[in-house]
Amino acid sequence: MRRTDLFGLGFMAPALILTIMFFLAPVVMTGVYSFTNMSTATGISGGAYLISPATIRSLTEQGFQGDAIERLSSESYVVDEAGLEAAEAAGYTPRFIAEIRSTLLGDTFTGRRDFERALKDLSHRPRSIRDLKKATELFQKSVLNVRFETEADFQSALSSLNLNLSPAEAVFLTETAYTGWIWTSANYDRAVNLPSTYRATANSAIYVTFTLAFNVGFGLFLAITTFYLPSGQAAFFRTIWFLPRILPPVLYVLMWKWLTWDTGFLSTLLSHFGVPPHNLMKHTATHAWVVVVLINGFVGASMGMILFSSAIRSIPQSMLHASEVDGANRWQQVRYIILPQLRWPILFTTAYQTLSLLTSFEYILLSTNGGPGSATNVWALYAFKIALNNYGGNLEYGYGAALAMVLVIIGIIASLFYLRLFNFKSMITSPRIEQ
Amino acid sequence: MRIELKNFKKTFGDITVIEDMSLSLESGEMLALLGPSGCGKSTTLFAICGIHRMTGGQLLFGDRDVTLVPSQQRNVGVVFQNYALYPHMNAYENIAFPLMIRKEDRKTIEKKVSEIAALVHIGELMERKPAQLSGGQQQRVALARALVREPDILLLDEPLANLDAKLRLEMRSEIRRIQQQTGITAILVTHDQVEAMSMCDRIAIMNKGDIVQLSSPQDMYQNPNSEFVASFLGNPPIAFLDGVVTDGGVQLASSEALLPLRGQHGLPSSGMPIRLGIRPEHFQPENPLKVTGRISFVETQGREELYDVTLSNGSVLRSIQRQGGGYHLGDEVSWGIAENQILAFDASGARLHMGALA
Repeated sequence: MRRTDLFGLGFMAPALILTIMFFLAPVVMTGVYSFTNMSTATGISGGAYLISPATIRSLTEQGFQGDAIERLSSESYVVDEAGLEAAEAAGYTPRFIAEIRSTLLGDTFTGRRDFERALKDLSHRPRSIRDLKKATELFQKSVLNVRFETEADFQSALSSLNLNLSPAEAVFLTETAYTGWIWTSANYDRAVNLPSTYRATANSAIYVTFTLAFNVGFGLFLAITTFYLPSGQAAFFRTIWFLPRILPPVLYVLMWKWLTWDTGFLSTLLSHFGVPPHNLMKHTATHAWVVVVLINGFVGASMGMILFSSAIRSIPQSMLHASEVDGANRWQQVRYIILPQLRWPILFTTAYQTLSLLTSFEYILLSTNGGPGSATNVWALYAFKIALNNYGGNLEYGYGAALAMVLVIIGIIASLFYLRLFNFKSMITSPRIEQ
Repeated sequence: MRIELKNFKKTFGDITVIEDMSLSLESGEMLALLGPSGCGKSTTLFAICGIHRMTGGQLLFGDRDVTLVPSQQRNVGVVFQNYALYPHMNAYENIAFPLMIRKEDRKTIEKKVSEIAALVHIGELMERKPAQLSGGQQQRVALARALVREPDILLLDEPLANLDAKLRLEMRSEIRRIQQQTGITAILVTHDQVEAMSMCDRIAIMNKGDIVQLSSPQDMYQNPNSEFVASFLGNPPIAFLDGVVTDGGVQLASSEALLPLRGQHGLPSSGMPIRLGIRPEHFQPENPLKVTGRISFVETQGREELYDVTLSNGSVLRSIQRQGGGYHLGDEVSWGIAENQILAFDASGARLHMGALA
C-alpha cells in the first residue's frame, strides 16, 4: 500500500470507527438479539432449570398428563441409600439410620406429613422435632420450585422421579424448565401472527405518508412565498418557521400540549364560543393524528424550507426575468420555471424524510404516547415499548429487536430504491442547473 | 414599431443611476446602447422590458403608453447575456414557452415555432436540452424564443459576451440578418464598440447615466463630440497629445516640439490647453506634419502592424500600417500626422471644431 493510501485511511479512521461503533455494531447486535427470546425474565447472561407452578401449567397445556405431572408437581420423599448416607453425614445416630434402613428402605411418601409421621413412629428417632423435620428434607425427591444450576443436576433430579417420559417429552420438559434465554426464530413468527403488528404497520404508513406530504408541501409553500417577499421580511418568516427545529423537543411538545389540553389555550378560547373543552390531542384517533402530523410536520417543513429556498435562489435571476417578459405571471413562473427545477431537492427531501420518519417516534412518545388506545402507535414506538419501556415490566429485548430489524430492512430497501431513482452517481457528477 | 423614452429617471435607493434620459427609435431600427460597465445601459434595457420599474419619465411603444404596464403585458422580446434558457425544457419547449403561456392552440404554436426555428437555423435541434447545445445554438434558441411572439421590440443584453471569438463574429452578422428579415425594432446593449458599430443603424454612447452622443456609427467615428466618445470608438484606440495653443500652432506639453497647425481655424486663443486626438490610421510615414519618436512597441496583427511611438515628452502615438514597413522596436522614426484628421478637444473634453482655411 502506498503512503498516501495509508494517509487517507488514517483520516478516515475516526469516521470508520464511529460508523462501526454506532451504526454497524448496533445493527448486527439487533440482528443477533432478534433471534433470541431475551427478556427481563430470562436475563441476558444465563439461566437455571426450575419447575415452577407456571411451568407445570404450560406443560399441562402442551399435553403432559397423569403420573408425570403429578410427580413433578407433588412433593415426594423416597427412602434410599443416597438419603441414608446424607443423614449419616448430617450427624444422625447410626441406630436411627439403621432403623430407617431396616423398616422404610424403598418406601415412597407423597407428602411431607406422611413421611414425618413414619419417622416419628421409629423408636430411635431424634428427640427434637426440628431435627426430625430436618431429617425429612434429606430424603426429599421433589423438583418443584428447586433451582438447578446445571442441566446435569436437573436431569439427575428428574431421573429420581421415575417420570417415564418419551425422549421428545424429556427435551420439551428441559426447555420449558430453562429460565435463561435461548436461540429462536419465534419472534418473527410472533410478529407475523399478532394483529397489533398490522396495526403498527398501518399506523407507520399513515404517519409517514401524511407527515411527509405536510413536510414537503408546507416546506415548498414557505420557500416559494418567502422567495417573493422582500429579503428582510423573508428572513423574519424563515426564522419563525425554523423555531420548531431549534426548540428542545420536550419544550416544543409541552407547548403543543398546553395548546391542545382540555384546559389549554384552544379549549379555553373555544369555550367562549360555547364549545365544550376537549383534550384535542387525544380526544379521538383523528385528533391525535392531526396533532402528531402537525407536530412533526412543522419540524420537518423547516428543513424543506431551507433546502428549497436555497435551491430557488440558485436559479439564475435572468431565467426568472426571462419568464416574466415571456408573459408568465407569478403562478405560471412557479408552475413552469421554479417547480421543475426543484425536482431534485424535492426528491431528496422526500427520500431523507421517509427514512427519518420511519424510525422517529420521539415526538409521538412525548405527545400522544401512541394513544388514544394504540391509534398512533407507530412501528418504531411499538418496538421501543416492547423492548425498552414495557408497562408490564417484562422488557422483551428479543422480540423488540426483531421488530427493529424489520425497520432496518425496510429502511435499507427504501434507500436502495431511492438511490436507484436518483441515479445518485449522475447527481453528484453534473450540476443540475446550467449557469 | 416606434419606441420613445422620455425623461427617463431611475434610482436604486439613494443611488441615482439615470437622471434624465430621452431616446427614440424609428420603426425597424437597430440601436446600440454602448458604454462602459456601470453606465446605466442595462438599467435602461431592464426599464424598457419592464423588469425594473421606472422612477420617472414615460415610455411609449407606438402610441401606447406602457410606462406602468407590467413586463408580462408589454410584448417585448429579450435575449439575456447568459441566454436564460429553461434547463428542464428542450429547445422546442423553450421557444414555445411564451406562446404556451399565452394559451395559443397547439397547431398555431407548432407552426410559429417551426417558422422561427427555420429563420434562426435550428430546425434540427428542437429535441435537445439547453445543456446539449453549444453556446451559439443556445443563442439562436434564445433569439427564437424572444422573436416567436412577434414582440414590439427586441432587446439584446450583451448577447455575444459569452461566445468565443469565432462564434461572436458569426452571430454578429446572424443577429443583424434576423433583425433585418423580421424588420423588428431592436436595442443592443453592449460594451463592445465593434459589435455596436458593425450591427447597428445608430449608436447611443452612454456615460454615467447619460447619452453623450447619438449618431450613426460612421458619423460618430469621424465626428465624436467629446474626448470620451473618441476614446471609446476605434480599435486600436485613438492616441492623445496634450499641449498649449500658441501663435504658431500647438506647443506640446513638457517639450520643445511645436505642431505648426497654421492651416487651421477654430483654434482657441493662445495660452489655452488643448488635447489632440490622432487615430492610428492618421499617423503614417508619408504624411507631411512630422513628429519624431522612438518605436516602443510592435504588435503584429497579421495583415497589419501596430506601432507605439513614444515621443520625447513621453506621449505615445499609435500607428497602424500595412505589413512590410521594415520598422523594428527601438527604431527612431519621424512619421507624419494627417493634419485635417486631427480631433481637438478642450480641457473639459469637449470637441473643438477645426477646419482647414479654405
